[in-house]
Amino acid sequence: MALLEVRDVHSYYGNIHALKGLSITVEEGEIVTLIGANGAGKTTTLRTICGVIKPRQGSVSLEGENLEPFKIHEIVYKGVALVPEGRRIFSRLTVYENLDMGAYHRIDNDGIAEDFDRVFVLFPRLKERRNQVAGTLSGGEQQMLATARALMAHPRLMLLDEPSMGLAPVLVESIFETIQEINREGTTILLVEQNAHMALQVAHRGYVLQTGEIVLDGTAEALRNNPMVQKSYLGIE
Amino acid sequence: MYLKDGIRGGLITFGIILFLNLLGLPLTAESSIVPIFTVLVGLFALLLLRSRAGQERSLLNASVNGLLIGIINGIGLVIVTYIFARMQANAIRVNQVFAQILPEHTGALAGLTKAEVLAGESIWPGMTKIAVLFAIAGLVGGASIRFFTEKGRKRMDSISASSFGHYTVLILPLVFFALFLSLRIKGVKIGGAEENILGLLLIFLFVSAALFALRAARPGKEQIALSIVFLILLVAIPQLTDLFQNAVLGAVAIFVVMGVGLNVVVGYAGLLNLGYVAFFGIGAYTFGLLSAPESYVLVTLPAFNGVTFWIGLPIAILVGVITGILLVIPVLSMRGDYLAIVTLGFGEIIRLLLLNLRDYTGGPGGVLNIPSPIVFGVDFGNPKGILYLGIIFSGIVAFITIRLRDSRLGRSWIALREDEDVAQAMGINLVAVKLLAFATGAAFAAGAGALYASRQVNIFPDNFSLLVSIDVLCLIIIGGLGSIEGIVLGSIALIGLPEILRSVNEYRIVAFGALLVLMMILRPEGLLPSVRHQRELRGEEMTEPVTSSD
Ligand SMILES: Nc1ncnc2c1ncn2[C@@H]1O[C@H](COP(=O)(O)OP(=O)(O)OP(=O)(O)O)[C@@H](O)[C@H]1O
Ligand SMILES: [Mg+2]
Repeated sequence: MALLEVRDVHSYYGNIHALKGLSITVEEGEIVTLIGANGAGKTTTLRTICGVIKPRQGSVSLEGENLEPFKIHEIVYKGVALVPEGRRIFSRLTVYENLDMGAYHRIDNDGIAEDFDRVFVLFPRLKERRNQVAGTLSGGEQQMLATARALMAHPRLMLLDEPSMGLAPVLVESIFETIQEINREGTTILLVEQNAHMALQVAHRGYVLQTGEIVLDGTAEALRNNPMVQKSYLGIE
Repeated sequence: MYLKDGIRGGLITFGIILFLNLLGLPLTAESSIVPIFTVLVGLFALLLLRSRAGQERSLLNASVNGLLIGIINGIGLVIVTYIFARMQANAIRVNQVFAQILPEHTGALAGLTKAEVLAGESIWPGMTKIAVLFAIAGLVGGASIRFFTEKGRKRMDSISASSFGHYTVLILPLVFFALFLSLRIKGVKIGGAEENILGLLLIFLFVSAALFALRAARPGKEQIALSIVFLILLVAIPQLTDLFQNAVLGAVAIFVVMGVGLNVVVGYAGLLNLGYVAFFGIGAYTFGLLSAPESYVLVTLPAFNGVTFWIGLPIAILVGVITGILLVIPVLSMRGDYLAIVTLGFGEIIRLLLLNLRDYTGGPGGVLNIPSPIVFGVDFGNPKGILYLGIIFSGIVAFITIRLRDSRLGRSWIALREDEDVAQAMGINLVAVKLLAFATGAAFAAGAGALYASRQVNIFPDNFSLLVSIDVLCLIIIGGLGSIEGIVLGSIALIGLPEILRSVNEYRIVAFGALLVLMMILRPEGLLPSVRHQRELRGEEMTEPVTSSD
């Protein structure tokens, strides 16, 4: 059974029909990427999975369990963590306090301590700056913090919304390496990206989203070689 | 050396002093006006000479410019007073109203009586004194900008880090307390006729200094020892004070309780509540209606003899919490400005209900003869007893709040304040967390309300106006949002100090407002800010590990 199954979802903002019958599945252990242009509905898809938006039609289920009746925070308990678009770190709290917030819903203190160690190994920069006010971190460090904060929830499924946004190419590369590392350690990842080039390099499979609909899906390799993807998302003529 | 700032500052300050002068402030204020003008000159020198970002003024420059501000004001006031005095002595009438007030007014400044002014007595001795005072104030004000610059702050930090500075801070409260005690020695007349005002001021200083000392004390033995000493002195205070002082301190304590409650809602959870007085009113009326002999409840139920304070208090709190929860439900999805407006409306609605549901609440006639708290047969319905209860209530709510702050709930309030959406994504149940914040705030305010009702004996809807909400909000902001010790300071500054300034009469509001504005400019993070807020406002990098103690 798939870890995440989004089936024929229709989501609206008032009258705006943002997702028009979207279906995606993510298997345990995978990195799946969702690529698409601005306004395609990528963030909306993640919001729908997190329960921020309840779809008018269709269903989201985690390991076969329909998430419809659950509130946002209850979905977090079930092991879904979001790294929001634009990072949205708690900029007036310290790095440490941000990470601590990420583990908010957990009560296993030993596990939390372990995860602190784990994220500090993944992001040594954050360890150096653990007592710095998060708002004063550089953009790249803030992205690391947002990712680390989500890891502190010890999620089974991590949703990343455009982690490469606004970062220099070197940093983008290192963020994507970290994402692969996190995945190797056992976390399933749904990665939303505009940077199709990088996303298709780290992902196992991918979906292409256009104005609220999936127009293409397949293995990362197949998508990389698809002429439409090459033309529209990879800039190859 | 730049004298431009001094001249400009002097003229601005003198404009203000002249304005207050023409308002007739000296007349109403009698003798207290000279010190107030002097303080204003000093404060304005401080404010106007403050360096703009980046460029720091040298001590010499600041002092000279400050002195200049003082001198300009001194000379200006002397000239104006001289002209007034001549006009009066020569019976030159500009206008009927002025003729009535001017002689006394001029006299107040120069230290003369009306008759002496009219007789053409020399104003010079009195005015020379003012000119010198102004000059000194300007000098001191200008020179003290050094404490408000980045460098000055660092220097202060290093002084207070030295063991001399450290122990001075620890000892200071005891000095104030000793001074206060010395007022009670028969024969020593330091304060003259206004001894009780001076005594009150010394208590305020003692409490404030004690809070700073506790903050400065090293954790562990030092802090524990100091806390014990201060606690003993605090408990002794109501025994040593007179009725007036106890009454003022009692009001301060009641506002501390409310402040701590509102701080949970605004300071921690970041939910701007402008209708906080509603819960205070509900607490007061709940207890009043259940206990006062002529209240609607007691009259309609002849068999019911009314509740005592100790039964009424939990009921009042419960009713407060229930209304708190009822209020939150409609505003759950509101943020910021909208929330402020709705809560503001709620506060007014409650007051209007109290006013207009005459049959039940007594309307404008209020609820009369509310019984006083009895503890083991002792009547606490006097300023001293109320003050003791106020101190105990403050201690309890402060303890509860600190425990909450350091709990998971406290963390979730902070997340909520920082970013509601992300807070949810961290697994925080927004509804529950908001409800708990409002309910906690409402509980404390309702408890304070019940105490207030038995303190006042008679309560009226007008006791629960918007002004109370604003006062409480201001006092937590002045003290330093999020800081519990700050609330005590804020309450002293906002509720206590005006009583001391009472001799300045209606103008105390003007003087007081000016002080507040100055303070917020000079110390935007509040008087005794929580560590977290200080950090937020200065946006500085923290080098020390953050412990959960704010
Ligand atoms: N809160 C909202 N209210 C109304 N419409 C919205 C709202 N949020 C998004 N939309 C609309 O829904 C559509 C999808 O938006 P979404 O944010 O999901 O795009 P996206 O694929 O994440 O784009 P980007 O790459 O720019 O982040 C857009 O047309 C957008 O205008
Ligand atoms: Mg988006």
